[in-house]
Amino acid sequence: MFFTKLLKMNLFTHNMLTSNIIKGVTKGYPLGIEATEVKTSEREFNPDFIGRMIPRLEWPAVVEGAKMLGQDAVPEEVPSDYETNEEFLKQAHRLLLEVTVQEGNLICPESGRKFPITNGIANMLLKEDET
Amino acid sequence: MDDHTLPVTKNKMKNMSKHDKKLLKKQHRSIGTLLKHSATQPSTTPTKFLYVGNAGLGNGIQREQVFNLFSKYGQISDISTPVGKPYAFVSYTLVESAKDAMENLNGAVIACEESQAPNCSSGVNIYIAYVEPGSDVNSKNLKSELPEGLIILEEFVSEEEEQSLLAAIDWNDRTPDSAIGSLKHRKVKHYGYEFLYGINNVDLNCPLKDGIPSQCEQVLDRLIQGKYITSYPDQLTVNQYAPGQGIPPHIDTHSAFEDGLVSISLGCQVVMEFRHPSGNISPVLLPRRSAMVMTKESRYVWSHGITPRKFDIVPCSSNDPANSGLTLSKRETRTSLTFRKCLVGPCQCNYQAQCDSPRDTVNSLLDVKNEEADVLEEEHVHKVYEEIAGHFSATRHTPWPKVKSFVEDIAPGSILADIGCGNGKYLGINNSIGQFGCDRSSNLAGICLERGHQAFVCDALKVAMRDNSVDAAISIAVIHHFSTQARRVKAIEELARILQPKGRALVSVWAVEQKLHKKKSNYLKEIKQTNIQCEDSVNRQIDLKCGNQSQDKQMDDSQNDTDQVVKGQDDHNQGVKGQYDPNQGVQCQDGLTRGIMQQKNCINGENKDVSISTATGEKPYANVQSKSERTEKGESLSRIELKTHVNRTEFKSQDMFVPWHLKNKTREKKDNPVCSNEKVYHRYYHVFKQGELEELCRSVPSIAVKESYYDQGNWCVIFEKE
Repeated sequence: MFFTKLLKMNLFTHNMLTSNIIKGVTKGYPLGIEATEVKTSEREFNPDFIGRMIPRLEWPAVVEGAKMLGQDAVPEEVPSDYETNEEFLKQAHRLLLEVTVQEGNLICPESGRKFPITNGIANMLLKEDET
Repeated sequence: MDDHTLPVTKNKMKNMSKHDKKLLKKQHRSIGTLLKHSATQPSTTPTKFLYVGNAGLGNGIQREQVFNLFSKYGQISDISTPVGKPYAFVSYTLVESAKDAMENLNGAVIACEESQAPNCSSGVNIYIAYVEPGSDVNSKNLKSELPEGLIILEEFVSEEEEQSLLAAIDWNDRTPDSAIGSLKHRKVKHYGYEFLYGINNVDLNCPLKDGIPSQCEQVLDRLIQGKYITSYPDQLTVNQYAPGQGIPPHIDTHSAFEDGLVSISLGCQVVMEFRHPSGNISPVLLPRRSAMVMTKESRYVWSHGITPRKFDIVPCSSNDPANSGLTLSKRETRTSLTFRKCLVGPCQCNYQAQCDSPRDTVNSLLDVKNEEADVLEEEHVHKVYEEIAGHFSATRHTPWPKVKSFVEDIAPGSILADIGCGNGKYLGINNSIGQFGCDRSSNLAGICLERGHQAFVCDALKVAMRDNSVDAAISIAVIHHFSTQARRVKAIEELARILQPKGRALVSVWAVEQKLHKKKSNYLKEIKQTNIQCEDSVNRQIDLKCGNQSQDKQMDDSQNDTDQVVKGQDDHNQGVKGQYDPNQGVQCQDGLTRGIMQQKNCINGENKDVSISTATGEKPYANVQSKSERTEKGESLSRIELKTHVNRTEFKSQDMFVPWHLKNKTREKKDNPVCSNEKVYHRYYHVFKQGELEELCRSVPSIAVKESYYDQGNWCVIFEKE
């Protein structure tokens, strides 16, 4: 049971999110993170799963996000042997799933619009005049 | 009983025989019945009008029996038999006749028809009294007030035409395609299309070999020329009635035929009874060689039928104006030709209570602007789910099997997005994939997180996800909450946008059709318990013992849902397991703060449309209105009218409110057991017609529908991005 204990917004979700739903914003990616509370909690490591996720992610966004969350030991690049590179997979596992944002904001890189993160839930709703 | 109502004084009684006294007593008792039921007053002096106790339809006595008995004493001008009442009124032309009848018939026995009153074998004694003229005394005269829209054209068919029409019907046609049938009470033959009595409709895909016989053309041409009907009929049903045969009361299926049904009577006249839902009965004489045209209310609202009997009471057919009485008419073989025009598409009549066609109010009634849709959905979707999130989530824990298997079949390493994930019941089914959900309700998204799923708050019309980011997406019971076509399309477009090429999405919406192929969906099938007064939550058909105790447990949302047996698949509604108790005193608090669409009245306690109108409450509608109230943006939604759906019934329109009854945990059950402290929320829904979801998908060029199916009252598609 891998995902069952996941709580609060993590960099996996952050990797999917964009602010290009705002009128006038073209790319809106990756979102900046302004975290007032970051939590790290251990999760079961499933190297196969992480290996499969890597090509589905925008790795530069993971790197950027991790730095904004004050993480060190962030691999800048995905190594070519990522599927078998246990050290990388462990780092990726930690960055993607174990580091979570409890409170803070996601920030549109173009407009600066902030999306609040409250109790680990990112709120991506816009006001009517923003769309 | 007051003395003044008695036809004889007590003094007189002393000199009477025992038999006469008994008779008098019974007569008095019988008059008591009259006084109880009717405003008609007895008369102490003889009048032309007689009250006849025990000779009513309620006693199983037919009008013609009364006629037979009383016509011996003079010319009867009227017989009135109020529906269901144990008495009749006989009116004579002369007072003398009435006196004669009183003398001879008071206390007489009238035989019951066994078929009408099985327990009465020997007959009953009738008791007579003179009465003052009154409304009950007069029958609804034949030809007096026809139902609205009913036209009787006398002498419409000439005698020659009658012969030619009768000759045109070959009752001995034994070819396989001839649609001849012998029903329980009459012989029928169809032309054009066979009328299928099993479904009370025609199959437009199966026209009969024989169209309407050419002999009918002249008659039909005249009907068109006279503008009695607008389109040329394409279906003919010929009924042949032997004396004593009839046809049960019915309304021709709305969706089967257009307005303007024609019935030609050949061979014999007959009295046809029209019945209005209000209880009004209007007997209508269909003379021989007449044409009857049913339009408007008479076609759509009134039922019509012919009572199986051998005689009809009809006005004396005479040219003598003095002879205005009634007479018995013996029925002969009557052949009726019913011409109808088959309807293509749904019925558009204004009589929804009787109509079988679901109303597409999207393009007519519910034609809202985008800004109005924002407000409508904000008040009647977003806020409601935010409020009921806990209760809602507690009632939704079993994944629908087909959605579950879609999720299970997603290839390992794929990414799944559940747009409108609710409490996240489809997240965590397949642990070999990356997955997350989003919901418009932050409370529901919060519940997902508590359950260990990634989720964020977002609108399905503006999904804050990058293009081509997921391999699979699901949208379960979401898109039916959007109130315009454009928004529903946009929701599909968003799903398409976030999918990567070859990615697939499953979309499921609630269907108008809750009965398909004569099979009811689980939604309709849910057992109705009569021993509970409140509804409980849904989809968990909790142990059905449901005394007060377990009921309380059910109401107690978000607790204890482990011991509950789940049946059905219904993500929309609450099970009405009980009946509304009119005394329940349900309070309606929508918790609306923006001041629009407030619903002040609540459940009316009856099994019909819930009235939540803020206006007079006369209409069976829920008025979403804000005559004096305006939204923040200043636009008024007063013109939008939406009905409130009655749980566990078929839909009457495509756009409506579906109530959600949120039970308050702290309700005062001990002090006042019938006072359930509950709030009623009204969720907006647009339920989908067959094919509508596919059509939505077709308007999004980047996707192709791979599979579509009906599943337990829901329309579902699986589409793939190209």
